[in-house]
Amino acid sequence: MSYLDLSIEEIHKALVAKQVLPSELVSEAYDRAQKYQKDLNAFVSFRIQALKEAQNLDGKEITNPLFGIPYAMKDNYSVKGELSTGSSNILKDYYPVYDATVVKKLKEAGAVSIGKTVLDELGLGGTGTNGNTGVVKNPWAIERISGGSSAGSAAAVSAGIVPFAIGSDTGDSVRKPAAYCGCVGFKPSWGRISRFGLFPFATSLDHVAYFTRTVKDAAYLLENLAGKDPKDMTCSIKPVEQYVEKLNPELKGKKLAIIKSINESLGNPLVRTNFEQVLLKLKEAGVEIIEEDIDMRLLKAIYPIYMVISSSEATSNNANLDGIKFGPREKGTDFLDSIIKTRTVGFSELVKRRFVFGGYCLAKENQKELLLRAQKIRRLIVNEVQRILAKCEAIFLPATGSIAPKFTEKNDEKLSVAYLIGENHLAIGNFAGLPSLTLPSGFVDGLPVGVNIMGKAFEEQEVLNISLGIETLLARYKGQIAKRGGE
Amino acid sequence: MVLTIEELKKITKSLLFTMSEEQYLTLQQEFTLILEQMKLLGAIENLDQVEPLVFPIENENCGLREDEVEKCLSVDEVLKNAKESMMDMVKVQKVVG
Repeated sequence: MSYLDLSIEEIHKALVAKQVLPSELVSEAYDRAQKYQKDLNAFVSFRIQALKEAQNLDGKEITNPLFGIPYAMKDNYSVKGELSTGSSNILKDYYPVYDATVVKKLKEAGAVSIGKTVLDELGLGGTGTNGNTGVVKNPWAIERISGGSSAGSAAAVSAGIVPFAIGSDTGDSVRKPAAYCGCVGFKPSWGRISRFGLFPFATSLDHVAYFTRTVKDAAYLLENLAGKDPKDMTCSIKPVEQYVEKLNPELKGKKLAIIKSINESLGNPLVRTNFEQVLLKLKEAGVEIIEEDIDMRLLKAIYPIYMVISSSEATSNNANLDGIKFGPREKGTDFLDSIIKTRTVGFSELVKRRFVFGGYCLAKENQKELLLRAQKIRRLIVNEVQRILAKCEAIFLPATGSIAPKFTEKNDEKLSVAYLIGENHLAIGNFAGLPSLTLPSGFVDGLPVGVNIMGKAFEEQEVLNISLGIETLLARYKGQIAKRGGE
Repeated sequence: MVLTIEELKKITKSLLFTMSEEQYLTLQQEFTLILEQMKLLGAIENLDQVEPLVFPIENENCGLREDEVEKCLSVDEVLKNAKESMMDMVKVQKVVG
């Protein structure tokens, strides 16, 4: 057992007790990242300077629980003077001139980034198979996907390379890979953490989110990352709470809602059994479960709404990627031809297809029937979620409808409820901007699965407390690191 | 409903990129499926009185910052990522003929 295999809290205690040095931790994390790269392909780039930065921390006063802790950063955050690609050829030589607020806060806390992780190009995807540096493999079974878009960050935490990694979540891009990779994935409320310096994908849905191995570590990170930011006008000015100090795993007397039609839509019956087993444990622990439902027509609309809104916003947000001010530039016969050639070779086919759909939704003749309609139905769904949340502390959900698929698996059932609802329901947390946490709940066919807690806006403490209670009930899955070949 | 390749090409032209003929065929097939999925939006009625939801959380929690004098990026920093520059400006190919 290495200190690197422990939680942030345990590593912090070892650092304070001088049982280990920041340089030793960072060096080992860096070595593991290099060693596993061939198998997992989790990283776009490595920060050799991390070793020097960690040496400079050795012997210094430890002022923060994140001090001296190695971590990994999804490659869609700006880091001053360091390659930041969005896993896209159109930014393959981009060096930002400023730090994202999240990056700045982690630097100030003394955490040390060992590298940037692979994502589905520009965040548009949910499999980890569409980064320009290749597919990311699941540390539990390398013939399977890690999930995406925060694929490399999920794999890095799951494989034991780092105790935490930063991702971003627009539909379920942290919470779903967390389930596939057997770790904790937390997306706080929209506006709780500044998005300044996060490459925008879909502004009304994007959240800063992250992976840890324990719920308590998720609370440590939130305390460090949350808070107002004058550089992000969508960032909340609500004060940051003492999430760690107020953690309480007591479940007795809590009221949680389940959504019947979502649970009945899961494609893999064993995943549903796992969810029901956890539900039983919650009832035994004194949790009152209320069964609620949402009109199937609304639930079936989750995926189409996500597609319309995210594709429209992505098409608009990425219109600035033209090779003029930054990024590679192709030679053309004139200015416009140069932009067309740059965008033609810069974007992958899959990203272009999403942009074409976004362009179609934004076209004047389609806006009313697609974009406006999607935004209206988004409100109806959010109203339904709020109606349910008014009756309870949080909603208890399965995190996925299946285990991590194999790379060779094809889903030809994209009009089925198993796909439209079972594989996409977590997007309601993005529609409503709610805090939502996935944690490991066991194994199906030797592969990790997870459950999800979705709470009221800015009630992160409640979500963390309930999640901690569940983690305590399911103690054997706490802090797990991938074992090749499954459980 | 099926979009023609010509209609798809019109969209890609407006987005300033091109695709290969093979890619357009894949796109056409995918579009047919997506438009089937979009019919699910049409199944929900009585939306006339519903306000569209654009941002998930109303801006009541957000505030305007005070104006503060700050040093901005230098011209050199701004131009650092541009492929070509000249006399403190981004250099591009001819815009008008």
